[in-house]
Amino acid sequence: MNSALPEMLQCVQTSENIAGNGTDMTVLERQRGRLKWQQQQLQSQQLQQSYFNENQLNLFSLSQTQHYQDLMNNDSAFRELANQSMKVDPDLENGWPNFTKYPIPRTGFCGEMKGFVSSGLQTDALEMDYSISRTSSCPPAEAVAMAGDEKGIESVLTEKLASTVGRDSFKKRKADKAQNPKVIVAGDVKVKKIKGDAEEVESKITEQNNSSNNRETSADTSKENSKVTEVQKPDYIHVRARRGQATDSHSLAERVRREKISERMKYLQDLVPGCNKITGKAGMLEEIINYVQSLQRQVEFLSMKLATVNPRLEFNIENFFAKELFSACPDSFPSVGMPSEIVNPAYLQFNPAQQVVSCGLDMAVNSSDMGLRRTNSSPVPVPETFLDSSSFTQAQLSTIWETDLQNIYNVEFHQGRSSAFPSQAFTGSMEANNLKMEM
Amino acid sequence: MCSRSSLEQEFFKKWVPGLQICSSLAKDMSFLERRKAIKLSADVAMATARDGKTCWSRALIANASKQEDKKIIVRTILGSEFERLTKSSIGSVVCEKRVRSKKILRKSCTTIRRVRKIRKSAPNRVLASSIAKRLVKKRTQVMKGLVPGGESMDEFSLLEETLDYIVSLRAQVDVMRRLANTLVLSIP
Repeated sequence: MNSALPEMLQCVQTSENIAGNGTDMTVLERQRGRLKWQQQQLQSQQLQQSYFNENQLNLFSLSQTQHYQDLMNNDSAFRELANQSMKVDPDLENGWPNFTKYPIPRTGFCGEMKGFVSSGLQTDALEMDYSISRTSSCPPAEAVAMAGDEKGIESVLTEKLASTVGRDSFKKRKADKAQNPKVIVAGDVKVKKIKGDAEEVESKITEQNNSSNNRETSADTSKENSKVTEVQKPDYIHVRARRGQATDSHSLAERVRREKISERMKYLQDLVPGCNKITGKAGMLEEIINYVQSLQRQVEFLSMKLATVNPRLEFNIENFFAKELFSACPDSFPSVGMPSEIVNPAYLQFNPAQQVVSCGLDMAVNSSDMGLRRTNSSPVPVPETFLDSSSFTQAQLSTIWETDLQNIYNVEFHQGRSSAFPSQAFTGSMEANNLKMEM
Repeated sequence: MCSRSSLEQEFFKKWVPGLQICSSLAKDMSFLERRKAIKLSADVAMATARDGKTCWSRALIANASKQEDKKIIVRTILGSEFERLTKSSIGSVVCEKRVRSKKILRKSCTTIRRVRKIRKSAPNRVLASSIAKRLVKKRTQVMKGLVPGGESMDEFSLLEETLDYIVSLRAQVDVMRRLANTLVLSIP
């Protein structure tokens, strides 16, 4: 394996010669040299004139892919991980998508793609981080890296490189490698691109690179469309430029910003109903504005409604609510005795306590049964309204607010009807059965 | 990442004491005042359910605590957190000043740019992109007015806050609607 290193160095030198400007080898040129060496292993192609040819770079990144496919066993594992992490959890029940933390897989292939895929969006973290840390995926590095400490190996490698080409940019890279690099991949990285990343040698560009180097960088990252940002203690952001796009620092930062914004817009699209077809930013914003305004108006309307109802009620019910709504209610009724004492004084004034329970957030029929048993002695309209409300809640729990308004009208209609009926006395069990049917 | 129902439960738990206060104060308040008090209590409860992690919740609490007459509602809802949360929202006052100075700066810049543009773009060629940009700008301004505390946010955090705010609003509306309906149904 050690023999591989001098070969690699040879390749570097040759690539130096090819480039013609051997004095100023940047990180990228070195990496490209390494890639070329690998290419030479696989195919014999004319690389000289194609050094700056993007198509060629396409080809050998492809060949890299094929080559590495054989080598990498746990690539699929990594891919899966990355896939899972990249997938946005479409669960709208959570306000935020779920990004769970994944353990770090130490894949020991090809210079260790160490996958740091860590979680992202939390309420206190305004950044979504997908971090995949990568090291150089050079075959000679592979065996060396497998031997022991990654950082040590990297420093060995870099030292070797330094012996041939030692420049300031390289020193920067060494400093970078000394710390544990974390590479943050944007959320829209697809699987094959990750795979392509894995094969390619890790390349970082600082924002101080001049334009020619940047061009090479963009050529280098031919197949992948993802951008890789790296945040380390020196707080410049390493961004990989996309193919065929402007690569000065301003536009890179712009692109980072734009991608972040587009991600947010995607979540908002999931959240706001009916926004699937709208693709533009302006249209999306319009929809969001409308939705927020409508929600706010609803709050106003509901508070007005509560204000009308409010003075007729006494709010002794908080204990009742606390017990009924938020405690796990057992199937039997052992707790009936306790809350009933609290409830009874409030009960005569506040019939809908039970109804609230039934409309309550997670309550099953149990609580409503409890309420029902107490309604035996109650004024009669309660059972009917209770049944109405139970059906109403069932609809409520599953519909969005527009249909809910319709339901309100329906229920109130039923309400009006039921009051006209002659009062009947239901037994508790009958009511329970009815409720069970409707629930 | 609270689930929806847990958020609703949280909100409701915080809200009920506020409702109590409202009902106790209800005798000497007019209908409109009562409505405002209820709305305020609901909003504050919503914001406290977020526990000061989001910018909009802090701004909401700040605005609410400024109203002297309804301060007791805020106080009861916030409970022990009152001191902590109102203190953290004092920073928003500073933000307002910054926002105002930003606005002045922006206005001066735009006037300069406008003058320059008039000279440059003599033909009446209006690009779709420029229209889109203007629209987006206008709408972000509107959104900043909608989301509480939105003035002092850049575009990216504005979107974040809007996300959170929408979720909370939905939960709030759900709980309020259920409560209102059951109360309405209780009227014989």
